[in-house]
Amino acid sequence: MPGPKRMRFTRRNFIKLAAGAAAVGPFFVFRPNAFASEMTLKVAKWAHFLPEFDDWFINVMAAEWGKRNKTKVTVDVIPVEETHKRAFTEVTAGKGHDIFIFPWPPAEYHQHVIDHVGIYQTVAAKYGAIQQIAHRSTFNPNNKRYFAFADFWVPSPLHFFQDYWAQVGMPLGPVHYGGLLSGGTRLRDKLGIPCGLAFSPTLEGNVTLHSILYSHRALIFDSRGNLVFNKDVFAAKAVGYIQALCQDAGTSEQLTWGSGGSVGAMLGHKSSAAINAISLLRAAEKQNQDLARKLWIQPPLLGSSGMGVTALPHVTNCSVVWNFAQNQDGARQFLADLIDTSRTGYEKSLGVNFPIYPKTVPNIIVRLSQDPQANPPSKYTALKDALHWTPNLGVPGYATPEYMEIFNTFVVPKMVARAVKGESAEDAAATGAAEMQRIVDKWKQAS
Amino acid sequence: MKSIGKYASLFVTVLALMGLTFLAIPKAAAQQDGPPGGGDADDTFNPPPCDYNNQFYADNGIDVANLIGRFGDNNGTTRLTGPPATGNQKNYVADSTCSTKDPNRRNFRILATTGGNSDDNNSPFTCASGNGGPNCVNQSFLEPETFEFISILAFIDNQNAFSSSYLRNVGLINGGLQGVQQNPGTDVSIGQTLEIAGQQIVEAPAQTLRGFAMQDIVSNFEAYAALKQTTPQGFALNPCSLAMIQQLQNPNATSVPQPCFPVNDTVVNGQIISDVATPNLRQDWRFATNRNAIDGSDNNDPVGAITGGVINAPFGYFCDDLLGMWIITYFWVTAPLNDPTCGPIYQAIGAKNGFNTDGSPIILTAFELNTELEANGCGAEAKEDPMGGDGGAVWLICPGIPDPRAGAIAPDAFLDQVRNSNGIPQNLITTINFLSLQIFGVFPNELTQGQMKKVMQAANGS
Repeated sequence: MPGPKRMRFTRRNFIKLAAGAAAVGPFFVFRPNAFASEMTLKVAKWAHFLPEFDDWFINVMAAEWGKRNKTKVTVDVIPVEETHKRAFTEVTAGKGHDIFIFPWPPAEYHQHVIDHVGIYQTVAAKYGAIQQIAHRSTFNPNNKRYFAFADFWVPSPLHFFQDYWAQVGMPLGPVHYGGLLSGGTRLRDKLGIPCGLAFSPTLEGNVTLHSILYSHRALIFDSRGNLVFNKDVFAAKAVGYIQALCQDAGTSEQLTWGSGGSVGAMLGHKSSAAINAISLLRAAEKQNQDLARKLWIQPPLLGSSGMGVTALPHVTNCSVVWNFAQNQDGARQFLADLIDTSRTGYEKSLGVNFPIYPKTVPNIIVRLSQDPQANPPSKYTALKDALHWTPNLGVPGYATPEYMEIFNTFVVPKMVARAVKGESAEDAAATGAAEMQRIVDKWKQAS
Repeated sequence: MKSIGKYASLFVTVLALMGLTFLAIPKAAAQQDGPPGGGDADDTFNPPPCDYNNQFYADNGIDVANLIGRFGDNNGTTRLTGPPATGNQKNYVADSTCSTKDPNRRNFRILATTGGNSDDNNSPFTCASGNGGPNCVNQSFLEPETFEFISILAFIDNQNAFSSSYLRNVGLINGGLQGVQQNPGTDVSIGQTLEIAGQQIVEAPAQTLRGFAMQDIVSNFEAYAALKQTTPQGFALNPCSLAMIQQLQNPNATSVPQPCFPVNDTVVNGQIISDVATPNLRQDWRFATNRNAIDGSDNNDPVGAITGGVINAPFGYFCDDLLGMWIITYFWVTAPLNDPTCGPIYQAIGAKNGFNTDGSPIILTAFELNTELEANGCGAEAKEDPMGGDGGAVWLICPGIPDPRAGAIAPDAFLDQVRNSNGIPQNLITTINFLSLQIFGVFPNELTQGQMKKVMQAANGS
């Protein structure tokens, strides 16, 4: 994980500049005025899974934007697991960055941000309407305001090792969740290799578990925003399924992996499947071509009870401009201009970042089918219909403050951990539902 | 076959409703160029269904060697008789016109026409929900959802039937007049490395040049099978498969409660009888489809923009799933029929849709299955093991008939539908629709009163 990278105007830089300026004499005379008029824009962003993307974002995209707009742009990169805490600190203090970029919809901060509708409108003139995933991830239906601006999302396909699954008669990988459990059990029994989905309180654990719940019709909220978790049998059944998957086909480490733990297990060829961003496959391509050749991706597993093929986005890149930001105009402009670089962003992310505005990467299907790093080059075409199987966090409703607090406080991973450690699925689901209810009640009182 | 007259009450109701429907739409018949089914050449323009040829299966990613019970195999003996046919009835006949009408077919014309209903309102013939499709103006409101007619050509019990690699060149010309005509042709390919316009293109295993694997496409089309739950040991509340029980009914089950209903194929007189053969079903098939137009012309939203409308689905049944394949979702009731919690739910659904011979309710819609049964712990569903561990059908090759009118239901075809223990069809509306289509090539609401009378007479003998 790269450490924080700053482009701050440090004391050391100032002394250097001052010394140089003094040497050239008259220049120094004008610089104080120049500095006085130069704006600053402070950006905080989550640390992308691919450091190459952040390098480009900071050193090229942001830097060039700063030059064009006579603005000094600083970018602080924050580890994913610290994102929520850091944002909370800024909101509590009422000061911090101008732009804060989250890997998920920060709906719980809707009272502390500007309405981002103007940014969407500015961009719409150039690139058209946003996709439904962006709308439902950044719109607050209660106050009719956009609490964030989304520019890309990251799909969560199933990754599986073909060499392992072929040994239990499934060379094309599991098809549905039932096959994942039965095949995964056979695979672990035969080879000692667990299926290895992330169940820990991390971003990948959260996305994986929320996807499994949704695929089993264990809805947390209904489309109207009512808490419905454990109001029917689906929640307990889904928790029971996860419990069985972990106990019969998995490993106890699934519950405790830190950020990137499932990725590490896969890259070590120590687990057979994962629900993850394709940064996993990218990392394999970079580290071990032979391993990458064995690692395939496919659309999500077929769910039950009419839920079809679906997986939540691994990332929904959502930027907010705080309402206490010092440079709100610059922040709006920066985010609108960000879309002009979506194509380069897609490339620098090695195809991980799917654009919210399809026009910015019009040949994405061709790119997926002719990937220079992939073996075979068409491996990523499994993602070409990803938009169809990726709903927003909060589905079937919006990404509401209540849902996102449930997400960010890891209610679901904690519930699953209790079940795997011995609590009955019914009890774990009931406890999880009670915690969700507490969060909902809290938000009711706050409104 | 027992007389339908014994069930006069239901039948009279159906007749009365048919009459009402007919009276309400007198212009339907007037729109024909002549009396429907009058023998005009353009009244029978839809060909009846035939099996696909081996090449078409292979072109679409299916290894025919791994098909189970394919109509016409073994020199036209496999499943020639037996379920769904009864007695000396034949499931298919040799017909040399099949391949001339459609070069993708082989010369076995399918007589067994299986009826079911679509449960997601996306059928081109759906009107019951009142969402007003183009055909709804003249469509009967009788059917709670909509019916479908399919041809169950074969079963797939194992993932091995999906090819991981395949290559066939089409259109190669090497020679021609004076040897100067050359054409490299076009490759139909799966999992190959290709040279196209000087560029090397590598397909992932099992994927076509479009980048999709057939197995993944088929996952978008679910056919719901309801196996009989009555067994010699009593009414079974679960399948005889631990893996299926673990999917939704009881994820933590460690053994199969008894009695259980079988989910494996059987062999009778040397013939494989699929676990989903009609005599094993307690009700007709249900189909969940996403028959979206790829250009969004039916208001689906192919790019997922917020301005879009109804359904976001990547694949269309008739344009992507060219073999008409489905993945089977088995569903069952999980409580005794007199259970204090589930019993009233079963009764309420049954009062609306009718009951199976075992007393369980007929399930017609996704809402009934998912929200009324499963959500209350009164029903469950599961797929079979894709590795073949359950021994029954995981997928079906059973193309829906795109338009069952105008000749698609041949005079010698028969309706394969679930019957009550007394032999009467469980769903008379499907029967009447089938006969109307078979005899006159139109839906019942397009019939004249005289034609309707003939259909009813035929139904009486069904």
